[in-house]
Amino acid sequence: MARPEASAPDAVLACGEVRTRLLPTRQALDIRSAAQFLALRADERVLLSERPALYARSPETLTGVDCPLPSANGSRVRAVGTVAARAALTEGRVLQTSAYFRLPSTGPDQRRPWGHYLVRPGVVEPFGKLLPEAIAEGVLGGGRPGDLDVGLIADGLLTRLLRHPLLDQRPPLRSRPTRLRWAALPAAPGAGPSLERFTLAEDDLRTVRLRVPPAIPPDRIAGLCDDLALHDWLLTTVVHLLDGVRFGAPEPSARPRPGDDRPAAVLALRPAVDHLLHLWMPRARVASELAPLWDTLERQPGFTRQWQALVQRIRDQLTLHAIPALYREAELTP
Amino acid sequence: MIVFAASDKGGTGRSVTSANLAYQRALNGDHVAYVDFDFGSPTAAAVFDVPSAVRGTRERGLHSYLEGGTPEPAMIDVWRQTEHPHLHAWPNQSGRLVLFPGDIGGGEFATDEDALERCVDLLLRLNGEFDVIMVDLSAGRSYAVDMALAATAHPRMRNVPFRWLVFHRWTRQHVIAASGLVHREHGIIRGGVERGHDELALRSAIRFVRAAVPDPESAVWSQGSPAQAAWMQSCDEALRRLAAEHAIGDSVVLGIVPLEPILQWREQLITEEDVLATQIANKETLEALEEIARRLTDDTYWGQP
Ligand SMILES: Nc1ncnc2c1ncn2[C@@H]1O[C@H](COP(=O)(O)OP(=O)(O)OP(=O)(O)O)[C@@H](O)[C@H]1O
Ligand SMILES: [Mg+2]
Repeated sequence: MARPEASAPDAVLACGEVRTRLLPTRQALDIRSAAQFLALRADERVLLSERPALYARSPETLTGVDCPLPSANGSRVRAVGTVAARAALTEGRVLQTSAYFRLPSTGPDQRRPWGHYLVRPGVVEPFGKLLPEAIAEGVLGGGRPGDLDVGLIADGLLTRLLRHPLLDQRPPLRSRPTRLRWAALPAAPGAGPSLERFTLAEDDLRTVRLRVPPAIPPDRIAGLCDDLALHDWLLTTVVHLLDGVRFGAPEPSARPRPGDDRPAAVLALRPAVDHLLHLWMPRARVASELAPLWDTLERQPGFTRQWQALVQRIRDQLTLHAIPALYREAELTP
Repeated sequence: MIVFAASDKGGTGRSVTSANLAYQRALNGDHVAYVDFDFGSPTAAAVFDVPSAVRGTRERGLHSYLEGGTPEPAMIDVWRQTEHPHLHAWPNQSGRLVLFPGDIGGGEFATDEDALERCVDLLLRLNGEFDVIMVDLSAGRSYAVDMALAATAHPRMRNVPFRWLVFHRWTRQHVIAASGLVHREHGIIRGGVERGHDELALRSAIRFVRAAVPDPESAVWSQGSPAQAAWMQSCDEALRRLAAEHAIGDSVVLGIVPLEPILQWREQLITEEDVLATQIANKETLEALEEIARRLTDDTYWGQP
């Protein structure tokens, strides 16, 4: 990024929220459409890459904020600055918007002119001193109305993008968006990054608590969290898809859809094969110093293990449904 | 599929019937959203038996959402939050049933461009998540009806299928009123065409539901005298002629919900237990609701009459 960044005291906390959802189009966007779709600013280019998978990321946008920080201990620390937000599209299929900021441990006692904040993109400065632990838990738990809400900024960007005329609003499968909130506290001096907690808080909400060496910039932490959110969304979506399928012989009351004699299970699972199964690629976009955090999730709960089991189940179902057709053909030949 | 529930008069059975249709679809495995755009009298909380859950969402209802007051409208998972004795457990193999409540004390309001865009945002979001989206609209030629017509004519909604159900009771006044809502000068069809809808397509997407209809054949009326039976018979025939003359005859009726004593006492969902176990509800009512729910997406019941 070419922007001049004023030096700020080391961040004691970085926080963010990621929204993840299926792009509502019949076909995935190709790389040129993706670039057009994510061109949020005229002065900065969309980041595009084709390996190991098609990936496009918008430039950062900044939102000015001046409001209390959420906190778990009831303190109300006012903070002023800018929150960074960006959008990313994976394989032209999964859309994510991500908003994040970092907080220094102390800030000025009064509000400075906006110029001061604009040269510190993505930094929010507290008035006075701050207890990072309380703010981290406040962010993860969701603040009170009026508190700084990064989720709203991510949501605002998502809403804006979803109005884009490139989208035909014909999603190939029903799915639910998810939210992932994260907070990263500094790791102990000399210690590497660690993932302290990954929770499924509500149906569609995940929270992640991290420790990272203070030198790692927040957009890299956001990159890791985007990657976690993407794969968590894939798991959630495929689990729901399988939940909705009635397996086994069709019930006598089941009505065939007019004009379609494929079994319901095949109709339901096919979109996963067409649109989702090839998207599993953990760590593909994660900075190398943060990539080891994935290992924690691979051990427990075992993201990739669960994914492989789901993929196998889908393939087995589709194979099973292919068998009667083969029999039919075999009977036809004398 | 978006299904708009409209009626000319209030108290026709629009909310109770459409809530039951939503429930039936969810039981059958569809993911269903019930959107309370009846800004004057949001009652869905009572029908789904989620009053306390709705009280907790004050200020975050659809009214606030459309006016830009809250970016994400409250949603209530009916299976999880209902206080209805039979619905507590999420029934096996059923889909989601999610209520988007109105605001308490919301009231009708004129929609501007921003509200319309937000309405389209919401409907598109639900279209990505749910199989059936049931939208309860305020009675009459209301702002809610206007917004539904404008939203479905919006270019962003061009690929989202929608249908209209117009509810009315089975009396002279109601038949004439329901026909007027759809066919008169400022009715749904003319209003829709003004907003850019294709007249034939819109006409093909509107069906009528006769609610709370006394069936002269049913056991409920068998106590009456032969004179009463004959009188009811002839009334029924006269009403059918009247409906046909007003272009809302049998060919555009999606279904008929019989007069159901327990619904006269209480706005609620009719469950299988009500019919089989406690036997407080009539089998015919449940069957009618099941059948109308099925026909919502059966193309043979839609199109040019
Ligand atoms: N099939 C039925 N048999 C008997 N009573 C019914 C039937 N359907 C609905 N009712 C009752 O009629 C009354 C009005 O129904 P409902 O509230 O659904 O009407 P509405 O059209 O939504 O009215 P409003 O315009 O005021 O919202 C309720 O008490 C309801 O329980
Ligand atoms: Mg009502």
